Amino acid sequence: MEPAWITASRVVLVAGKGGVGSSTVAAALALVAARDGRDVLLVAVDGKPGLGPLLGGSALTGTEQVLRREPGGGRVRARSITPQQAFADYLDLKGFGSILRRAASAASLDVVAASTPGMEHLLVLGKIKELERTRAADLIIVDAPPAGHAAPFLRSASALQEVVSSGPVRQQADEVAAMLADPARAQALLVTLPEETPVNELIELAYDVEEDLGLALAPLVLNACWADRTALALTAAVAAKRSGTTLTAADRAALQGTNSFGAARLAVQREQFERLDAQLPLPRIRLPRLPAPRLLPHHLEMLADALVAQPEVSA
Amino acid sequence: MTERALNDVLASAALLVTCGPGGVGKTTTAAALGLAAARAGRRVVVVTIDPARRLADALGIEGAGSNEPHLVVDAVEGPGSFSALMLDAERTFDDLIRERAGDAAEKLLANRVYRGIAGSLSGAQEYMAIERVHQLHNSDDFDLVVIDTPPSRHAIDVLEAPDRLVLFLSNPIYRALTMPTRSLARITSAASTAFLWTVKRLAGPKIVEEIVEFFRSLSSMEAGLRTRAAEMSALLRDEQTAFVLVSSPRAEAIDEATFLAQALGAGGFGLGGIVINMVHPLPAPLSAKLTTAFAKGKVTGPLAEQIGYHHELTVLAQAERDEMRALVALAGDAPVREIPLLDHDVHDVATLVELGHLLMNDA
Repeated sequence: MEPAWITASRVVLVAGKGGVGSSTVAAALALVAARDGRDVLLVAVDGKPGLGPLLGGSALTGTEQVLRREPGGGRVRARSITPQQAFADYLDLKGFGSILRRAASAASLDVVAASTPGMEHLLVLGKIKELERTRAADLIIVDAPPAGHAAPFLRSASALQEVVSSGPVRQQADEVAAMLADPARAQALLVTLPEETPVNELIELAYDVEEDLGLALAPLVLNACWADRTALALTAAVAAKRSGTTLTAADRAALQGTNSFGAARLAVQREQFERLDAQLPLPRIRLPRLPAPRLLPHHLEMLADALVAQPEVSA
Repeated sequence: MTERALNDVLASAALLVTCGPGGVGKTTTAAALGLAAARAGRRVVVVTIDPARRLADALGIEGAGSNEPHLVVDAVEGPGSFSALMLDAERTFDDLIRERAGDAAEKLLANRVYRGIAGSLSGAQEYMAIERVHQLHNSDDFDLVVIDTPPSRHAIDVLEAPDRLVLFLSNPIYRALTMPTRSLARITSAASTAFLWTVKRLAGPKIVEEIVEFFRSLSSMEAGLRTRAAEMSALLRDEQTAFVLVSSPRAEAIDEATFLAQALGAGGFGLGGIVINMVHPLPAPLSAKLTTAFAKGKVTGPLAEQIGYHHELTVLAQAERDEMRALVALAGDAPVREIPLLDHDVHDVATLVELGHLLMNDA
């Protein structure tokens, strides 16, 4: 059964600094909702085609594909949205069809985008808003650009509201801003690692997102957490004694090496949890550190299982 | 393990560009390489775009970038020096306009469309990074300029920024807009009319006026911008320019870095080295006797937990080495350095020096 936060909005924007695994979390979340019988649309906006293969399909394109069907009737569909596609769709929708053929080449989008800051992002968010408004899926999960790019992406609507005072672009910006500010329509799921710099950036992004945009925050996702292993605090000799055995000097040294390494990582992790308690006391979910550098389908199932856990409330 | 070392690259390069996927420690690697070169006697400036706050603090470039090199005091003794600069793309762009646009400069600087472009156009920041690097490279103040690029796909953007600007200037719509006409009505190009009509319907008439004005003003700079773009393109391909590819052993990072390595080769850019950060150390093996006892479930209690962890780390470390092989194979005769996962952040001069030792293999 899904925890309450997953069903709180129709759009979930998944964002985090590059390298923290936000695409993986987006895919795992899609799996969770599909297992619960929902029709999920997974959208990649940063040209990341890798989400498709992760869920057993081919690389994502602008054309939707069904990646998974779950026994309960739920499924995961996925596509990418590029500014070019969103621009073409938008012009079609607004009846610019004939103009489109003459002027809206990729090159002219460059000029429009250059002339109107934030336009590319707004086109993509506008398309997502359109999908949400027409109920294109029970849940739309957006793999947002990495932090550094996530804030400008999410802020594009309010930025354009300042520059453009009327016309369809203004209307589009208003509608996107309204969607982002409505917790029943959209929430942001922020992902980080239990390490110092990623946690710093998460804290900045969280305040940006919540205060500037009024975007509701889902529980924080702490990805790649080391499992708590209390035995690593013991020396290998003491552990052997307690386990009723003895070790050769070489085995003792080898274990001592990994024990110290593991204990140091756990200390770093604990420190970051304490910092989050103090600076960003939101509910959070720990995802396990995967035992391999390459993500495999069964890893995704593991992450989906962990996402369903009730969020921890910070101390 | 390789014939050349990063020390040689740092001793001879005039420009060093770090690139790679996000989240792999590019900025700290750039700073550590720069500091190592400075300690070896060179006058170094590290240009960074978006450093983590504590590192920026340590380098004295916290807050809005002043766009000027800031000497990191006490970092280096001897003939070398170590400076850092946080890029202010908008300011670099403004300076370029003042220098090149002549009489049109003030009008252009106040133009709303220009302000939008200078502040947020994706690509403008990359272009200005190269522009600033070009200025520093040509000044007599530094022997080595190190530039830390934004993540991955955008690193390619940085390399292509000069060429893309030329492409932008060659756009037929842009050409039509900058024709020497006095009024909009005299623009005869169907494409530009349709374009302006589209923008007018989308964003309102005021924006259209400013767009036309913007492109008109920019036309006075065109020749200068083209020359500069060609110079920068040549600088990036110069034999004294070295690209250092930074990655982690995670599969996605290795895949992106491999793609970048190939793109660098195809673009005629010289690979100066590969750094793989955050590599899990390969544990010393356990005896067959202990491993067998553990596998048969004969070890219990805390020792079993310790052996389990040892086993997990060994599998992970071995798998990482397998992933890294594809990237390492692309290095050719460029040096490859593996940096172990550190149990602390690198965010001050002391930890940068330490990372420098690991990079130079002289810990």
